[in-house]
Amino acid sequence: MPPLFALHRMKLLTLLLVSNFGLMLHLSAGDMKPLSVWDWLDIVGEGGSAMLLLIWIGLLLKSRPAGRVTDLLFAGLGCLFFSLLMDLADEFVRMPDSVSWDAWLESGPMPVGFILLTLGIYHWHREQLAISAQMRNRERLYREHLHFDTLTPLGGATYLKNQIEMSIKQAVTERQPLSLIMLDIDAFSVINRDYGQAEGDRVLQVITQLVLLNLREHDLLCRLAGDRFVIVLPNTLESQAAAIAHDLALSIKHLAYRTILQGERLALSATTVAVMARQEGAECLLERLNTRLAHAKQTSLFRSA
Amino acid sequence: MNAGAVRQRAWYEREARFIPAHHQPAGLIDLALMRGIESHRLLRGTGLFYQDILGGRQFISAEQFLRLIDNVRQLRGGDDCSFLFGQQLLPGHYGHASHALRHAQDLQQALDRLVLLRRRLSPLLTPRVRVDDRYVYLHWFDSCGAGAREVFLMEACMTAVTAMCRWLSGGPLPWEYQLRHSQPDYIEQYWVHLSEAVRFGCPQNVMRLPCEYLFKPWPHASLTVGQVAEQTGLDELAAADEMAPSLLEALFDYIHKHVRQPLGLERLAEAQGMSVATLKRKLKHHDTHFLQQLDQVRTYVALDLYLSKGFTSDEVATYLNFNDKANFRRSFKRWTGLLPSEVPGRLA
Repeated sequence: MPPLFALHRMKLLTLLLVSNFGLMLHLSAGDMKPLSVWDWLDIVGEGGSAMLLLIWIGLLLKSRPAGRVTDLLFAGLGCLFFSLLMDLADEFVRMPDSVSWDAWLESGPMPVGFILLTLGIYHWHREQLAISAQMRNRERLYREHLHFDTLTPLGGATYLKNQIEMSIKQAVTERQPLSLIMLDIDAFSVINRDYGQAEGDRVLQVITQLVLLNLREHDLLCRLAGDRFVIVLPNTLESQAAAIAHDLALSIKHLAYRTILQGERLALSATTVAVMARQEGAECLLERLNTRLAHAKQTSLFRSA
Repeated sequence: MNAGAVRQRAWYEREARFIPAHHQPAGLIDLALMRGIESHRLLRGTGLFYQDILGGRQFISAEQFLRLIDNVRQLRGGDDCSFLFGQQLLPGHYGHASHALRHAQDLQQALDRLVLLRRRLSPLLTPRVRVDDRYVYLHWFDSCGAGAREVFLMEACMTAVTAMCRWLSGGPLPWEYQLRHSQPDYIEQYWVHLSEAVRFGCPQNVMRLPCEYLFKPWPHASLTVGQVAEQTGLDELAAADEMAPSLLEALFDYIHKHVRQPLGLERLAEAQGMSVATLKRKLKHHDTHFLQQLDQVRTYVALDLYLSKGFTSDEVATYLNFNDKANFRRSFKRWTGLLPSEVPGRLA
C-alpha cells in the first residue's frame, strides 16, 4: 500500500519508535519471567486488543486523507495501543520493586488516548456535517454506500426505491403531496456509438451536475439505470413538478456540451415527465412514471417523424 | 446414417475453441477494464492471458467465455453489465459477419444473417426466427450449456438485437419481450435498455415485432457489400470447418424434425451415433438432460401451432401424438407453466 506509507510515514515511524523505546526500557530495567508463571489469559487478552488497535489504525489511515481529524484519531489510537503494549510487556518482564515508572507507562497514555480520541471523533462529526452539506440533493436522511452508483455520484435504483418508500410514508403522515420526475436523455445510444462509451459516461456526469444545480433544497436526484434519472420532490404538486421538469429539459437543451477530445459541440436534449403519488407503493409509482415516459418518448418520436 | 460419418464434426461441443478472443470476449474485457477491474482478476480461471488476447490469434471455447462472464458478474457486481455488454455486441467488429449484418437491407435480411453467421455473431445463444401472419419472433436458445448464466446472456443478446435495430433502422422498433426467468429486482435496467413491454416467467425466451417491420428498408445499407460479406463470411466458416451446429443445436434440430414420433433417449443417441451413456454424459456436461431438451422443442412446436397456426388444444395434442387429452394438458402445464386455455390471454 504505497499511498498509506507515503502520506503517513512520519506517524507510523513515530509509533514504531515509541513502542520500541517502551519495550527497550522494560527489558533493560527488569528480567524475563520464567515460562511457568506466564498468565496466558492476560497475554491473549492484552495482546489481542493491541493487535486489533493496530488494525484500526491501519484502516483509519488507509481510508482517510491526511489532516487534523486524522491526526487526532491517530494520536488517540496510538496512545491506547502503546498503553496496551506496555501492559503486555509486563506479562513477560518482572520489574524490580524499586521501579515505579512502569505503572505510569501503562496507565498514563490510556486516559490521554481516550481524550484525544474523543476530540477526534467530535471533529469528525463536524467534518461529516460539512460533507453532508455537499451531498445536498444527492442523499436524504439515510446513507448506504452499497447503493451508490459508481459512475455518477448518485444513489442507484435500490437507494431510490427505499427513498420513495420513505417519502410516501412521510407524505401520508404529513398530508403533503409528493411528486416524482423522470428524466431520460434523447438518443443517448447514438452518443455512445458515435463517440464511445467514455464520452457517454461523461455526458451522464455533466448532466448530473447540471440537474443538481437546478434542484431545490429538499429534492433528491437518483440514477435509475443507464441514461434515466428520477427526482423525488417532497411537498410538491404535480403542476409544480411539471414546471420543474420543463425547466430541466430546457436547461439541458441549452447546455453547450463539448466532447473531451475534439471539443465538438453536441446538441443534447432530454424527455422529462412528472407524476404525483397516489395511494400506491413505490414499485407501482415508479412503473406508472416509466409508462408515462414511454408515452412521452413515443409522442416526441411521432412529432419529429 | 453412418456412424463414422457422423463423428466427423457433425457438431461441436463447449470445449471447442472457436471464439476469437478479440471479438465478443474483448468487448466484455474492455467493459470490465473500464470499470476498474484488474485484468489478472478478470481472467482468473479462464486459462487466458491478456497479452495473448492482444496478439489477436487466441481462440477460446464457450466454456472459457462463460467463465469470463462469471468473473465479470462476481467482480463488477453491477446489474447493468450484461446490458452494456449487449449494447455494443451487434453488428460488432467480427470481420465479414459484422459487415454482412451492418449492410442488411432490412430486418428480414439482418435476422437471416444473424442465424446464418451465428457462430461469429452469437456464439453462446442460438437465435431462431419464426414468422406468422402478425409477428416475427426471434427465439433464443442455449447453445453451449450456459446454465446459470442464461439470464446474463438473454439480457445481453436481446439488448444487442434491440440496439442494432435501433441504430440501423434509424429509430427504436417496438419489440416485445418474453423471458423465462422471474422478474429480477433490477427491472429498471430492462425498461431503459429493452422497453416497458417485458414479461417474465414465460415459457420461452423470445422477442417479437409486428411483421410490417420486416421489410421496411434500412438506410445506409449497401446491397453489394452486404452480399459479398455474407458469402465471404460463409466461405470463411466453411474453410475453418465451422459450419457444424453445436451439440445442443443438432439435438434440437433432430428432435424438431421427429417431434411427431415417439422419441426416447436411445433413439436420439443412436441417431447421433453414440451410446446412451455417452449422450447422457455429454448432456450433463452441458448442464441439461434429455427430458429438458425434449420439452424445450415440444414447447416451441406446441406454442407455434397453438398461437400462430390457430390449432385447438386437441389438434395440438393429436399433432404431438398424445392419445390422452388429460395427459397432454398435464404435460403442457409442465412445459409452459400454463394450461392451454390460459395461453391466449397470457402470451398472445
